[in-house]
Amino acid sequence: MITNADFLALEGKLGNFTAKLNIRPRYIDADACTACGLCTQYCPKHHSDSYNEGLAVTRPIHIDYAQAVPATYYIDPASCMYVQHDTCQICVPVCQSHAINFNQQPEPRDLKVGAVILSPGFGKIASETLEKFSYGKHPDVVTAYEYERMTTASGPFLGEIRCFSDGRHPKSMAFIQCVGSRDLGCDNGYCSSVCCMYAIKEALVTKEHDPEVDITIYYMDIRTQGKDFDAARERAEAIGIKFVRAKVADVTPWDNHLKLTYSTLDGQHKFDAHDMVVLSVGLESPKDAGKISEITKIELNQYDFCKTETFTPLQTTEDGIVVAGAFQGPKDIPESVTQSSGAAILASTVLKKQRGRGTVNKEYPDELAVTDEDEVRIGVFVCHCGINISSVVDCPEVAENAGGMENVAYYTENLYSCSQDAQEQIKQTIKDKKLNRVVIAACSPRTHEPLFQETLKDAGLNRNLFEMVNIRDQCSWVHANDPEAATEKSKDLVRMAVSKAAHIQPLPEQTVPVIPKALVLGGGIAGMTAALSLADQGFYSVLVEKSSKIGGNLQNLKNTLAGDETAGYLKTLTAKVKRSKNIDIVTDAVLAQTNGFIGNFSSVIESGKGKKKKEQTYDHGVIVVATGGYEHRPDLYQLGKSKKVVTQRELETKLAGRAKNRAPDSIVMIQCAGSRGEDLNYCSKVCCNHAIKNTLKIKEINPDSQIIVLYRDMRTYGFAEDAYLEARKKGVIFIPYEVGRRPVVTSKGAKVQVDFFDTIMQEEVSMTTDLVALSVGIVPDGTDELSKMLKLPVTASGFFLEAHVTLRPVEAAVDGVYICGLAHAPKPVEETIAQAQAAAAKAAMPLVKRYVTVDPIVSSVEQDKCIGCGICVSLCPYGAIQMEKVGKKRKARTVSASCKACGICSARCPTFAISMGGFTNEQLTSQIEAFGNNVASEKVMAS
Amino acid sequence: MSDNSFSPKILGFLCNWCCYAAADAAGVSRFQYPPNLRTVRVMCTGRVDPSFVLKGFLEGADAIFTGG
Amino acid sequence: MGKAMIQREGAVMILGGGIAGIQAALDMTDLGYYVYLVEKSPAVGGVMAKLDKTFPTNDCSL
Repeated sequence: MITNADFLALEGKLGNFTAKLNIRPRYIDADACTACGLCTQYCPKHHSDSYNEGLAVTRPIHIDYAQAVPATYYIDPASCMYVQHDTCQICVPVCQSHAINFNQQPEPRDLKVGAVILSPGFGKIASETLEKFSYGKHPDVVTAYEYERMTTASGPFLGEIRCFSDGRHPKSMAFIQCVGSRDLGCDNGYCSSVCCMYAIKEALVTKEHDPEVDITIYYMDIRTQGKDFDAARERAEAIGIKFVRAKVADVTPWDNHLKLTYSTLDGQHKFDAHDMVVLSVGLESPKDAGKISEITKIELNQYDFCKTETFTPLQTTEDGIVVAGAFQGPKDIPESVTQSSGAAILASTVLKKQRGRGTVNKEYPDELAVTDEDEVRIGVFVCHCGINISSVVDCPEVAENAGGMENVAYYTENLYSCSQDAQEQIKQTIKDKKLNRVVIAACSPRTHEPLFQETLKDAGLNRNLFEMVNIRDQCSWVHANDPEAATEKSKDLVRMAVSKAAHIQPLPEQTVPVIPKALVLGGGIAGMTAALSLADQGFYSVLVEKSSKIGGNLQNLKNTLAGDETAGYLKTLTAKVKRSKNIDIVTDAVLAQTNGFIGNFSSVIESGKGKKKKEQTYDHGVIVVATGGYEHRPDLYQLGKSKKVVTQRELETKLAGRAKNRAPDSIVMIQCAGSRGEDLNYCSKVCCNHAIKNTLKIKEINPDSQIIVLYRDMRTYGFAEDAYLEARKKGVIFIPYEVGRRPVVTSKGAKVQVDFFDTIMQEEVSMTTDLVALSVGIVPDGTDELSKMLKLPVTASGFFLEAHVTLRPVEAAVDGVYICGLAHAPKPVEETIAQAQAAAAKAAMPLVKRYVTVDPIVSSVEQDKCIGCGICVSLCPYGAIQMEKVGKKRKARTVSASCKACGICSARCPTFAISMGGFTNEQLTSQIEAFGNNVASEKVMAS
Repeated sequence: MSDNSFSPKILGFLCNWCCYAAADAAGVSRFQYPPNLRTVRVMCTGRVDPSFVLKGFLEGADAIFTGG
Repeated sequence: MGKAMIQREGAVMILGGGIAGIQAALDMTDLGYYVYLVEKSPAVGGVMAKLDKTFPTNDCSL
């Protein structure tokens, strides 16, 4: 990890690049800095805190936030008095670990790399664009970024929202959408794709803080097209957040309020006053986009984002350079995370031959055997953490006290237990004093347990013979004003830990070998892309397709919104898949049964029809679920009853044909037909783009065709906004309808009649038209059965649920199963490809590693005690316990590779047959008893 | 401990992933709270056997806290 | 991700240490490559580290 670095040049080509960097000095030695924060307290100079959007002041020597990585402070040269004026240097003697070094110089650095992934993020909208909203002129107009920091509990105002003008709590707030997006005034014609979501989020958070606040969101279209995003919008409406469809012209100060001037759809101009205005500013291309393009020679699009194609969404115009995240186009976190994984598999393909050569493998000494017969020898190390702990807790007293406890063979204190020299000292002590359990009282095990466990391993002890006591984050820091009580608490916690430690047993490191093969379910674009990506990595997969032919939904499409022809791409892709030695295609096939767990699945595939029907069993390590979806056919708007009513897909086919009247003179399109609250409860994300694509095609064939699009929100997010604008320029009429007043379609002889309420003219309209095209939405295919077979959770709408919406968007809750394409959620082809590549990346990981490690804290069943009741099996949320036949009895068994160590099974087992590694009943009970010892002794003292 | 103000002894079971993490975060933000809690870290509150709670009371806890 | 100065084969450079860069770095490591994550500011994390909560579940973003 190289921070504080400028990217200067890139030479060479794919497989053999040299990147030139300049690493700016941070003036602090990263190895020595312990992030204690003393320097910031002493630094005399103020410095605007950019992490908090300038809403707070910090010092030139600081760290952005406590969890920052690397956890090293740095000195901002722009405001440091020494760097600027050669004075001060107060920090140098203050730092107890002598980390401050003003002699650091900029360091040039050359990196030899085989591939480059660009993920520079996005830039900010220029403040000139915000001026018409009085930003900079009135303190109560803030950007959404600033507002985010204001609402944060750990932010500069601890989450308390006040007007900057006079400190009052705002009672009425306005969010203005599309600031710096969908705005030709600042040359940003595109939609930033995230602002609607964050505005709703911030509005909801505000309501949580103060339910009395009146919030209005001024918008053009609410674009909550993502998976389950509409639900959040509905939640917002339900708790009283107002949505007003209007374009805000300007914001002017008015007494101590702000006056918004806006125009509504029906052409009215209105005014409204609010206490605070939040600007939903868009995402711009990163500031250094031009420079990156110059250095790497990659091309940019018209908005200075990285140029990519629909079918290769992560590939830049230069070989060996791939892109991920907002630089590829504005997008939210799940999309960015997905693209990153996809970009990784692309870069990996480039580097395939060099895999593993750069990584370092560490070796450890043989593990010392520790058995029940051995005398328990616990070593207790109490950390001062500089003065973080010792300024509150009396560390010597805590250590001394520990020394008097049963089984404690050694105790000592460290200034910084985590420092390099202390680590060495701990290792030496373990050997010298023959310690077989180690208790360290310091910070949080969540951050430092792995480090200390590593130390144990280095010293030849099993890493589980370790217990950590948190006397910093959960003691000295939170009881700073009560040193005596904090010391008592530390003593108690140490006693509880020592008591638990006495019962700790070494746990073997378990690894499970992985069968380096994949099962890919679904032969559409997602499945094919995933299988091909895996094949590119050198892994074999079986591609299972339900129908007689691979290709999926893409076979129904003719071209993309960007104008690419789909048939050609599909042909190349299917040919590649068929040619690949690493892919076995099984058509007319379904998954009949699956057993096993990550690394070791065994699946039965039924294929063929009639007499050719057969069953085959495949063993494989991972499963990619790409079972897709299909067009929803709602029994609404005369669909299927009148020949003049078609779906957008049917219209597309028709438009690609040769019929003379394929683009009739009058067409009405109805968006969200059957979606968003009719049959389907969600937005299908692609229909607006699909409709726009068809309108443009119609206009191309028959420029005089009169097209009316009846919609709720046009969700042409991202760069598709350009096509929406083009359609409007070409005379396509867009009229929003209200949910309560959906259009009505009736057959009228050869024509159809559409009745709707025109929200622009404010009148009922009844018109006959040549054709009605419905945007009908997408439903998942067969997720019901598959979800039962693979124990995969699905959403209320029947799509597969990812392990974590934001951070693990392609992994399923069950290890070794990955999801992509329409089976995950409706999405356009570009996103499907990126997601399939991401799923392949995730699926490739265990295959590359060839084994999966199991954290030894998993559950284990003592089968002698097990009565085979099966409660654990039904309760396990991860499908990690299975029943098996042992002799004539049913017994439970843990599938270690799938176990997440939650312990539900253990807590519910009626015969206490299930034990959790590192958290056994015995250990926890003794910890509770140790808590009790103290209570008892104090009660005696008090009486 | 003074006799005139009730100072309860609380035993807490904290889930490693959420409540324990939150307690760490409280520390990072230097929020101050009364020092009456003694914690037992578990990987999930699902691990908390009802008997642990009873045991806690038997051992003299005035209150049991589970966070997950 | 060590600090070794020796030149490595099978390495990739990731420019930008926001959520996209971090995820790509983790994935590349898991796929068996050496990663240089290059970030211009003093810490990785990017914009996501500034967010309070994430949509639509309002999970904490840190």
